Amino acid sequence: MSLWNGDTIKDVSESVGVANLNEDVAKNLAMDVEYRIHQVLQEALKFMRHARRTTLGTQDISNALRVLDVEPLYGYESARPLRFGEASLGQAQPIFYVEDDEVDFEKLINAPLPKVPRDVTFTGHWLAIEGVQPAIPQNPTPSEAARLSETTPKGASSNTTLSAASTLNPTTNETVTIKPLVKHVLSKELQLYFERISTSITDESTTDTIRNAALASLRKDPGLHQLLPYFVQFISEKTTHGLRSLFTLTQMMSLTHALLENDSFFIEPYVSSLIPPILTCLIGKHLGSSSSSSSSSSSDPHSQTPAHYALRDFSASLLKLVCKRFGDSSHTLKPRLTRTCLKHFLDPAKPLPTHYGSIIGLAAIGGREAVRVLILPNTKLYEKVIHPEIEDEGPRKSEAEMCLSALVGVIKQLEEEEEGGGWKGKNGVPPIMPGASAEEVKAQLIGILGELVGEEVWKLRREALVKAVIEAGGMKV
Amino acid sequence: MASQGTSATPGAGAHAAGSPQALNQIVIEYLSKKGYAKTEAMLRVESAHTDHEGRPILSNLDDQPGVKYQKAYSHLKNWIENSLDIYKPELRRLLFPVFVHSFLQLVKEGHTKPSQSFFAEHSVEHAAAHADDLMKLKAISLPQHIDDDHLARLYRENKYKVNFSSTTSNLLIHFLEETEDNGGRVILRIINDHIEMKTIIGRPTMFGEEEGILGEDEGIAGHTSGHSESGAILPVIRLGPLPMPADFMADVEDELREEDAAGGDFSVGLLDEFHKNIKREESEDSLMRGHLPLPPYTGVDIEREVRLVKESREKMKLSGAPAPALPSVLMYTFHNTNDGLQCVDFSEDGTIAAGGFAESYVRIFSLNGKPLVSIIPTENFPVAPKTRRLIGHSGPIYGVSISPDKKYILSCSEDKSVRLWSLDTYTALVSYKGHDSPVWDVRFGPYGHYFATASHDHTARLWSCDHIYPLRIFAGHLDDVDTVIFHPNSAYVFTGSTDKTIRMWDVQTGNSVRLFTGHTGPIMALTISPDGKWLASTGIDSTIMLWDIANGKRLKIMRGHGKTSIYSLTFSMEGTILLSGGADNTVRCWDVAYGTGAPTAEAPEGASATAAAGGGGMLPSGDGTTKTNERMLDSRPDHLQAFYTKRSPVYRVQFTHKNLCLAASANMPNAP
Repeated sequence: MSLWNGDTIKDVSESVGVANLNEDVAKNLAMDVEYRIHQVLQEALKFMRHARRTTLGTQDISNALRVLDVEPLYGYESARPLRFGEASLGQAQPIFYVEDDEVDFEKLINAPLPKVPRDVTFTGHWLAIEGVQPAIPQNPTPSEAARLSETTPKGASSNTTLSAASTLNPTTNETVTIKPLVKHVLSKELQLYFERISTSITDESTTDTIRNAALASLRKDPGLHQLLPYFVQFISEKTTHGLRSLFTLTQMMSLTHALLENDSFFIEPYVSSLIPPILTCLIGKHLGSSSSSSSSSSSDPHSQTPAHYALRDFSASLLKLVCKRFGDSSHTLKPRLTRTCLKHFLDPAKPLPTHYGSIIGLAAIGGREAVRVLILPNTKLYEKVIHPEIEDEGPRKSEAEMCLSALVGVIKQLEEEEEGGGWKGKNGVPPIMPGASAEEVKAQLIGILGELVGEEVWKLRREALVKAVIEAGGMKV
Repeated sequence: MASQGTSATPGAGAHAAGSPQALNQIVIEYLSKKGYAKTEAMLRVESAHTDHEGRPILSNLDDQPGVKYQKAYSHLKNWIENSLDIYKPELRRLLFPVFVHSFLQLVKEGHTKPSQSFFAEHSVEHAAAHADDLMKLKAISLPQHIDDDHLARLYRENKYKVNFSSTTSNLLIHFLEETEDNGGRVILRIINDHIEMKTIIGRPTMFGEEEGILGEDEGIAGHTSGHSESGAILPVIRLGPLPMPADFMADVEDELREEDAAGGDFSVGLLDEFHKNIKREESEDSLMRGHLPLPPYTGVDIEREVRLVKESREKMKLSGAPAPALPSVLMYTFHNTNDGLQCVDFSEDGTIAAGGFAESYVRIFSLNGKPLVSIIPTENFPVAPKTRRLIGHSGPIYGVSISPDKKYILSCSEDKSVRLWSLDTYTALVSYKGHDSPVWDVRFGPYGHYFATASHDHTARLWSCDHIYPLRIFAGHLDDVDTVIFHPNSAYVFTGSTDKTIRMWDVQTGNSVRLFTGHTGPIMALTISPDGKWLASTGIDSTIMLWDIANGKRLKIMRGHGKTSIYSLTFSMEGTILLSGGADNTVRCWDVAYGTGAPTAEAPEGASATAAAGGGGMLPSGDGTTKTNERMLDSRPDHLQAFYTKRSPVYRVQFTHKNLCLAASANMPNAP
């Protein structure tokens, strides 16, 4: 019934020379010993609390004994946790004892002095500025904080120590030692992981399965937060140095995509670093090696579009994802991106692939609104740039045609989204203007869009689209 | 009477051969035939208590010493659980003292085994509100422990106070008398001996108290002068500011006028600011200047006053509706402390910090990068350092306090002494010896000169720097005094104790003038709003309670630090925001006015009532779709925000006069 065993009392009494201790006496003494231990612990806990600690130390026990007017126990002062050894004597109960290392005196004297422990220092940082916790390395990231907040207020039955322990999730790798001055130390495992992922993604010789597995891991695995800055750095480095290799660029975009997908990352602070690589892949002058692009451009443009257009499309969709996710939290993000794209679109000196990229980029960033406000009014002007190229049958004809199809493609968005808008029903306006013949409508269309694009759009034979374009164009005029 | 008639029924002995049941049957039949309905009913009731052998089962619990308390307690508990919902909360409060005394009585009578099984069986019911006491009681197993143990003596020598509305107490007494033989007598005896049942006017309420919180007047509180029990006359206290001497005020005004003239294109002149916000004149509620003798003012005091006026003008406004604006927190994280840092204090202007270490020294840190120059030239060789160590104590330092004029620092230690150090020379000046146990806390008064200490010896003491003996000894707490703080007008001292109470002491008379009860664990930190009206307290039970000092009533309870200790509290200058820092590595921000019925509170009383009735107060977990921001906030609406540190328990939070919060924490890289 008591934790303290009567037999222990007997053992002790024998060791001090009392041979036949009465059973009842032993039992009573055992209970008393237990009570005294409780008493000492109660006092020791006070010392622990006032020292603002959550673990009881040997020093607390010594202090408690002093307060209780008991001779302190010497020889147990130790900053490190005590190790207990276990020994069994015959069939008796196992005996526990504090393990003491045997120290060779000679060795101890000749050993070099231990290192002086590091001095107590302090660092100051803003924990909160007007109630907002700034995202600086000294503060935990919101995802970490969210996890902390989930674990701390609960644990109705857990005691102080337990709940303190539970504030940190031992399963994740984020419990990496934080050194002063906030130097991140990556664990061996994380370093290895980074190494593996980066080589498997960039190595052209690896199979698709491995690459996919690597990306899937990035997409899903929690606990990689420590690596996020390294990956971001990796992406921008590889993009700037790998402009010639379409493969590398594509892989980098896939990597970016994977990072954006992973829910456990707090990626917001890194968005500004991720944008430049994406923009590079979207509106870069020459993407991929010149030989590959020229070979593909010389081949039939309709059967196979050059691979870099696919990359540009991919980057545009990434951009769209970024805008969708972070456009609300960062007010300057969308305008900045739009301005960049528009600048490239309206600069006739830029190569046509750049135009292509900026057209789809604009559509991706701003959606229908951007098409209506920024692209439609400029289409007619822009035609002057691509018209000669298309007529010319030169090497740049395919590029110009790509731009044309991109334009038509984004203009098509007008209608697609308009259908959801439902102005048709409200106003009761018939799809084609009343009283106007088909030719008149077409003329109007071409008047808005210019000859080339107008023709293309007319060819699509979609009344709603034509209607939408005329509506939008009319608004402008 | 009637029952006697039954036993005298002729023929009872004649049927001795038959079984007792049969005999009863015959008698009952006889009685019903004769029409003795009452007698019959009585016999039925009484005979139900006999077993089939005819021996009474529970003729008298007093004859069964080993189990009587257990049975009586279970009996009472069953009755309470089956009573009406409106009476339950009140009645339940009786259970704990009855439990404790039943247990102690069992031990006292030497029934070790029953006492332990009794404890094991029923202690769980009280774990929520009395975990601390239960832990201490658990060890008691022998009769001699009862006389030896501090807590057991407390319970046996004092009366445990429980408040009852009159209906409830009538019900209870009636029940106990009715079932006297069934355990009622045992309970009655306990109540008579050890419990003070106070009948209060008013109706019992179902929604009054939350689980795990003591009633406001419940418990053992020692001598109770100044307690907010209903009907008691509270000692008069004056919470107004200490007025400034007229000549001092004139000097300060001169100084401010000069400063104003010197320039600065502020919208508010320093003098205006002074008149509006700082000046302290005698008023109805204020003390007389002579009430508290202070040394004559010097140039340093004027300088400080001018600085306060400037800082007050520059301060960030943290008031406003619906919720007050949130403050900025500057966190100083201490590294390589190896858990040795035990307490921190910041100077009023935030330029230096002092830390007390387990290794018996105090360390001063310059926070603004300026070297700590000593006026002793040799001390600055080769260059004046930016951190200095004050060595002199022979035990861990548990409290440090920097004087408001930044000239002195006090430290208290396990070695039972309090030391005064000079911040000009960085040397020890005085060692104050008076406590005969470790000193847990020390704090300078708001005007310097006086300081107060809290000690393990159950007393708090008031000292002045120029006397080596204490001026007042505040005795009354029943256990360690853990923390001490001055009222802003320096005329009162507040102490928090391990006996779970907070007391307010009059410095002038040394009397306890207020008593605040309700916490379920030792009190670890106190703070008073700058206007001197409200008190916030916290402790091991990780709840923060807000009190109205004037009437001694609890205004509200705030929870959110999980189950970990809270180490420090601080009010913003306007008193609208309360910050708390604790072992859960967070600084949390609380809306003070919310739910207190204060005029600034935006939410009506009803809202807080429903919030409280909402129960648990924890958000649903594992809901991945909730936004992080929402999840970070506890569902309690007065919990405004939580700021997390990276594994650094927060030891101190302290608002400066500019409404910037300074915080200190120690980084624990190796924490589990």
